[in-house]
Amino acid sequence: MSLFDSIMAGFALVGNFNAFLSLFIGIIIGVIGGAIPGISATMAVALALPFTFPMQPINGILLLLGVYKGGIFGGSIPAILIKTPGTPASSATILDGHPMAARGEAGRALGMALWASCTADLISNLSLILFAGWLASFALNFGPPEFFALMLFSLTIIAGVSGDSLLRGALSALLGLLLATIGLDLVYGTNRFTFGDPSLMGGLNFIAVLIGLFAIPEVINMVWHPTGHIGKVQSLGSKWVTFADYKRSFRSIVRGSFIGVFLGSIPGIGAAPAAFLSYSEARRKSPNKANFGKGEIEGVAASEAGNNGVAGATLIPLLALGVPGDVITAIIIGAFMVHGLQPGPMMFVMNVDIIYGLFIGLIFSSGLLLIVGSLAIRGFRPVADIPKRILMPCVLVLCIYGVFAVNNNIFDVGVMFVMGWVGFVMSRYHIPAAPFLIAFILGPLLEDNFRQAMLMSGGSPEILLRGPITWFFWALTVITVVAISRGTLNKAREPG
Amino acid sequence: MNNRTLQVHLGIGACLVGLFLILYGIPNWVSSPSNVPKIILSPLFWPYTIAGLTGLVGLGLIVFGRGADDDDIPVNDPIEDPGTGVVRLAAMAVLMMVTFWAMPRIGMVWASMGAFAALAFLVRTRHPKIALTCAVLVPLVLYAFFAHVASVAIPQGNYVRLP
Repeated sequence: MSLFDSIMAGFALVGNFNAFLSLFIGIIIGVIGGAIPGISATMAVALALPFTFPMQPINGILLLLGVYKGGIFGGSIPAILIKTPGTPASSATILDGHPMAARGEAGRALGMALWASCTADLISNLSLILFAGWLASFALNFGPPEFFALMLFSLTIIAGVSGDSLLRGALSALLGLLLATIGLDLVYGTNRFTFGDPSLMGGLNFIAVLIGLFAIPEVINMVWHPTGHIGKVQSLGSKWVTFADYKRSFRSIVRGSFIGVFLGSIPGIGAAPAAFLSYSEARRKSPNKANFGKGEIEGVAASEAGNNGVAGATLIPLLALGVPGDVITAIIIGAFMVHGLQPGPMMFVMNVDIIYGLFIGLIFSSGLLLIVGSLAIRGFRPVADIPKRILMPCVLVLCIYGVFAVNNNIFDVGVMFVMGWVGFVMSRYHIPAAPFLIAFILGPLLEDNFRQAMLMSGGSPEILLRGPITWFFWALTVITVVAISRGTLNKAREPG
Repeated sequence: MNNRTLQVHLGIGACLVGLFLILYGIPNWVSSPSNVPKIILSPLFWPYTIAGLTGLVGLGLIVFGRGADDDDIPVNDPIEDPGTGVVRLAAMAVLMMVTFWAMPRIGMVWASMGAFAALAFLVRTRHPKIALTCAVLVPLVLYAFFAHVASVAIPQGNYVRLP
């Protein structure tokens, strides 16, 4: 079948009202799910999965993809408005989105988040269509040493989100790495800091740590200084994102989209590291780097481009190799199987109409996301106008339900409370929370891949430099560390 | 507390944490099989590495902190009533502990209603009637959503059970 025939077959499959309605409903469910802290895009996809069983395969899968894409954008809404990321992928959006909301530019931040999300989504979908086979075969060459080198390079992101002091950022990251060691050792199954408590054997729940670190300190801060917010504006504001803003951030959006595409095509990385890496790169390259972390619109654009760039790319290994790129695509692979489809190279031969139908649906999804997202921003507008001393108890209760719902475990609520106090103390001592979170995400991946590589080589470190992929990432790491060291020394030499 | 003091305090704290982990925490709270062929494969290797690096970063903070300007600029905005603020923080800690304890016993809905109301009054809300109304409605709406839409088994407690 020629390319033209394949595209026509795809059009025949999705060129109907039901297919677009499924996609549209999926995006609405995703945006709402992503906007409620604790639901997350993953949970929204899992909740929607059973509803797709009686549907046509293409419609059901489009609905789930709509939920996925809507969920990743939806997470930015509470991240910007109430400093509580709806999904882990939106953690980086807080860094500049919330300071913008605090000075009355929530509408502008949300608008940029939407535009950046839609652009990144489109780039990600086009990349999926153009590079599915090539990128998937590249990602297939990744073993533990390559992953270790990639994770090590990803840890250099910390320098970009450390704020005023690199050492305080490093301390924060080390605390995150330390907390990530809690639980059973993955190689030998022995206890590490579990104190005999079975609840700690699986490690600390990521969502509980994330919400505890970012949302609860805001509540505690309000208790410490109940009138501290008076005089500080917190509303959508009359300022809206302009084309000039978009144009100014366009390079960061495109760069972030490709970072998302690259990391998304490698199984197991996920959207959160992509968002942080994109943010860090935008900060490094921006002429306004001093404003990053204080409410820079380019920071919002970069974070959202990074996490949305992942959404289409995670389908590359899924469709080309049958390997899910992240948790959400692992759920979506279930939908394929329920409908008697087996993602992988053979699907490009046996079900080429479905492959091209999905590609066409995904291209339209970016436009639908723009429509649904614009309505959602206005729909969630009242959140910005709620008095803060009513909003904070709402946030507390929402966090309790959200964290509990992830694992149906009250222990996680306790972890969230404890992490809230850790986050509060960190904020009083000006220790940035973002490096903690990045290290907490990357720590287990770094350690596992390091130890797997060592097991493979019998303890010889030479395996960590075994091929061009590892050399590439090691070189990037060295260049970045040298650049960071030079920057820090130059800053220290500056008078005043 | 100025930037210099903060940096030095943090450095001392990090060194103490690193030392505590190396001398007591890791030997007692991390177990490792006796037949691990190489130290880098041991479950102890990573925690010891992190603890060592924490100590080093602590030393760095002390050194750079001592070299920083000793100005009088406080790093945090002062509040009018620090004494009452500490009492409020203690009350918040108690509120969290009580909520955590009460959730499996009286149910998440009732516990969160109490937590909402208590927190609203702790932060001295200017809208007490709205706060009380929200304290009842928000947990009920969340319960309805999570229990009936998302099929999450919200703890009901031993006394009043919701449909």
